[in-house]
Amino acid sequence: MPGIEVDQGIWWQVFSPLWFIDPDGKFVPDLAREVPTIENGGLSADGLTWNIKLRSDVKWHDGTAFTAEDVKFSLELINNPDFRARSRVGHSLVKDIKVVAPDEVHWRMEAPYSPYMSILGSLTFIVPKHILEKVTDPNASPFHNAPVGTGPFRWGERVPGDHIQLNAHTGYHGKGPYVERVVFKYIPDPTVLYTQFRTGQVDYTGLQGILPNFVLEAKTLKGRKIFVSSTSSVEHIAPNLEFGALADRTVREALYLAINKQAIIDALNYGLPTQTESFVPQQAWSFQQGLPQHKYDPAKANTLLDAAGWVRGSGGVREKGGVKLEFTNSTTSGNAVREQTQQLLIQDWRAIGAAMRVNNMPAAVIWGDFWQQSKFNSVIVGVNFMLGSDPDVTPRFGSGAIPAKGGRGYNTYQYRNPEADRLLAEGAKQFDLAQRKTTYGTLQKLIRDDLAILPLFQGFIAEGVKEGLQGFRPNINMSINCWNIREWYWA
Amino acid sequence: MARYVANRLAQAIMLLVIVSAIGFAILHLAPGGPLSQFAASAQMTQEDLDRVTRQLGLDRSLPIQYLDWFGRMLRGDWGHSYRDGEAVLSVISSHLGATLELMATATIIAVLLGGWIGVLGALRRYSLFDSLATVGAMIALSIPTFWFGLVTIYIFSVKLGWLPAGNRETVGDGSFLDLLHHLIAPALVLALVETAMWGRFMRSSMLEVINQDYIRTARAKGMPEWRILTVHALRNALLPMITVAGLQFPTLLGGALVAETVFTWPGMGRLFLDSIGYRDYPVVMGILMFSAIMVLIGSLLADILYAVVDPRIRVG
Amino acid sequence: MTSAALSTVQLAPGHAAWRRFRRHRLALAGAVIILVLVLGSAFGPYLLPFDDTYIDIMKRFAPPLSGAHILGTDELGRDVLARLMMGARVSLSIGFVAMVIAMAVGIAVGAFAGFFGGVVGAVLMRLVDAMLCFPTIFLLLALAALIEPGFVTTTVLIAATAWMWVARVVEAQVRSLREREFAVAALAFGSSNLRIMFRELVPNAVAPIVVAATLNVAKAILLESYLSYLGYGIQPPAASLGNMLNNAQIYLTSAPWLAIAPGLAITLAVTSFNFLGDGLRDALDPRMNIP
Repeated sequence: MPGIEVDQGIWWQVFSPLWFIDPDGKFVPDLAREVPTIENGGLSADGLTWNIKLRSDVKWHDGTAFTAEDVKFSLELINNPDFRARSRVGHSLVKDIKVVAPDEVHWRMEAPYSPYMSILGSLTFIVPKHILEKVTDPNASPFHNAPVGTGPFRWGERVPGDHIQLNAHTGYHGKGPYVERVVFKYIPDPTVLYTQFRTGQVDYTGLQGILPNFVLEAKTLKGRKIFVSSTSSVEHIAPNLEFGALADRTVREALYLAINKQAIIDALNYGLPTQTESFVPQQAWSFQQGLPQHKYDPAKANTLLDAAGWVRGSGGVREKGGVKLEFTNSTTSGNAVREQTQQLLIQDWRAIGAAMRVNNMPAAVIWGDFWQQSKFNSVIVGVNFMLGSDPDVTPRFGSGAIPAKGGRGYNTYQYRNPEADRLLAEGAKQFDLAQRKTTYGTLQKLIRDDLAILPLFQGFIAEGVKEGLQGFRPNINMSINCWNIREWYWA
Repeated sequence: MARYVANRLAQAIMLLVIVSAIGFAILHLAPGGPLSQFAASAQMTQEDLDRVTRQLGLDRSLPIQYLDWFGRMLRGDWGHSYRDGEAVLSVISSHLGATLELMATATIIAVLLGGWIGVLGALRRYSLFDSLATVGAMIALSIPTFWFGLVTIYIFSVKLGWLPAGNRETVGDGSFLDLLHHLIAPALVLALVETAMWGRFMRSSMLEVINQDYIRTARAKGMPEWRILTVHALRNALLPMITVAGLQFPTLLGGALVAETVFTWPGMGRLFLDSIGYRDYPVVMGILMFSAIMVLIGSLLADILYAVVDPRIRVG
Repeated sequence: MTSAALSTVQLAPGHAAWRRFRRHRLALAGAVIILVLVLGSAFGPYLLPFDDTYIDIMKRFAPPLSGAHILGTDELGRDVLARLMMGARVSLSIGFVAMVIAMAVGIAVGAFAGFFGGVVGAVLMRLVDAMLCFPTIFLLLALAALIEPGFVTTTVLIAATAWMWVARVVEAQVRSLREREFAVAALAFGSSNLRIMFRELVPNAVAPIVVAATLNVAKAILLESYLSYLGYGIQPPAASLGNMLNNAQIYLTSAPWLAIAPGLAITLAVTSFNFLGDGLRDALDPRMNIP
């Protein structure tokens, strides 16, 4: 079964990828002996042939040696039509996997696809062939309840709905682990999580982190350290570009100008997040500097709308050619800060003659067809646009990726721009970093000019660590900041 | 007697079929689906979603899905959780202990405390104690349980720091004292409503009994008051309580769910809420069926026990 | 029997009931509080200088009795008292409307099943039994999580989990009344079934129905608060007592008044309806036993 975020924290401890991405964005070999590049011959110049050299000293938790067969098995499993893999982006291009030697595997790509480096490095874990090949149904195997990996921790026990315990794997091939065991406690309520952190019942608050309203107080706690770090998710208002007034770029610009972003950041989020204008996190190599800065300017918004022929009608709501400037905004019900943001937006936008109504839904409803098939007017959502650390956003902004139009991807904004399509196709074929930076930089300018999304701020997470626990290193290139528990230790 | 039990059992099974059909229809006809959770955050394309839908058999027609599910359920295969592939029955059984612990503790408190209040209230009818108990019980029945839980957390965990704010045990501890420490607040919160219920029922049952002829006869015969109370009155007043216990079960289970959500207690209520959030149909259906079965068993046992205990009731 | 004689016969028990009810001081207090709550939530908002949805982000978390805001301000700088009144208006409305729907459905099903009995009656009552097998909250949450939240859906959902008890009570009453002479007499006079059902039988079951209705309002208010507390009920920016609690939850440590005010309001309203129901039960039919 495709996993959920909670699982990722476990995967990083139990399994290993071929390589991982460090906080600076560099690929670091893990199960692979070296990261394949065109220079070291791991990649062919056209990006079609991949030759991976593996470590030969790695053992599975049960003592069996790790070999190239496991890599071949893992990649083929993802492509197995019967296996409920979470995603096949990139993997589906892999063909002709050949085990050349126990420590070397080769394959061919159907098309050059540079983001695959990142997909392998942060989203793909290698699983043991010798265990899973005996299983008839890989979806419902006992393996899920007692996984065997090559990671720094071996599976201990799991009490569903309560906790998972992992124990140190002494034969780990990399650095560490230094702690004897890790217990992942399941605390669904962030307030309770914080209370338990405060009273010392938990050593580290991961995943959801600490709610913004507790951060100031948390920083004053003795014996606790609070880290506020950016994530690669961008909090934004997602307009449905085919819906009513929102299809008009002028309207989007006016709405954007009328957002009191500072109030959202400073008051509702306690000044913790940072402004952004791009879908790429500011820490990434591909981030484009100098995009036009947002300004809170309701007067200018009004002027823009007046000039574009949006006139105020009954009840102060503008309209043009029979289309009213009104729409709904949705988000997951129960998300306190987003619901507050919505209410602020209603007031901000009423001032420029735009009527917004809240239409929130439970998670399982909103992210279903409503979102996938673009049945929304607008949504507040945090999206990590990156594939690992790669800025390839073809599935998000490519015109062929609109599910509502039968496309493959999740371009639920229904954004279509031939120039963007061209840049996306070009970027995926480039392996040179400088070239790619230019390509994706141009794309970021384009998306900002079109206001395909109205960015609010770059996502952030406030995590607490008990004093004395060393080694915590937030890593924006990973989906989770506890990626390196193997290096944590008590001082 | 055997015929009565068989009859009731047959009725119960028929009810379960209706219950399962209602539950199944509610869940599957609603918008959204188990895959929505992946769509937003994960790197899944529509193609991926369609594929997983097919693999889970969610693309089949609803009656087919229902019959398939029902057939398997009869054979003891309640399906697997969409979330982690675990068998539904084992998911439920691993959460059952926590819920039973909570419910049992609360019931014991409620029976003892509520029973005492009820008996005393009946004996000293219209006394100050009785009036206070009546008003208190009514308020207890009217306080939103979750709010009472929040206030408890605020006072005893946040302000005073006496009790943990939630969960069943401290990680790595789990000793008896530690478990008890965690149990106090949620059990008391759940016991509040239950105590009020039991007190009210006990009071009215006791009142009915002490006005009966045989009690008056016993008094007239000069039997000591304590003997009248324990031997005749209390025993007969407790009889209807068996039915109350059986009928109270759904309320108790619902109350446990509420207490669990406030205190992040890892029981069935928590599991139910999470599973609904994830559209984990097999688990949600499993819990609905499981609780319906428990409710039915509760009322069945209550009826049978009552028939066995009370010779006046003749069942045919 | 003349019509005059008939009316005196009916008046006498009415007077007795009123006297019994008046003796029940708590029920009277409940009725008064309900009246105050209804009037307060209906007209109160117009007396305040603040709008319940007006956001003043610079004045967040003002504690009660500090300045113009009597009960302080919430996480968006809105006046808590104004929101409390509007919230009570929404919660009470849901309570009443859900009660009316539950009553209508319950009475219809119960009367039908009780009057006709037989296969139709059995099927209807088995449906009632089946619905009662789900603990209310389980059923409510399963439904709520699946439907777009809002005033109408929340109300209908609550009604959907409450009509079964009414159906049971009415069915039992109608079934026993049906056998009595006046129903038989009406049948003999050639009245239609529907007419007998709703003109003769149901009015005779009015006592338990009134009591059940009152207690139902209390239950509906509680359920609304729980649903909204979990985020499945009334949606922002509208206030309800439950969603105020939901919003207040994460500020419990820093701004406890946000949670205390709506919680007390719910308790007050629910207690009042419960007392009123209790008093009505004593007044109308002392021997009646509805949990």
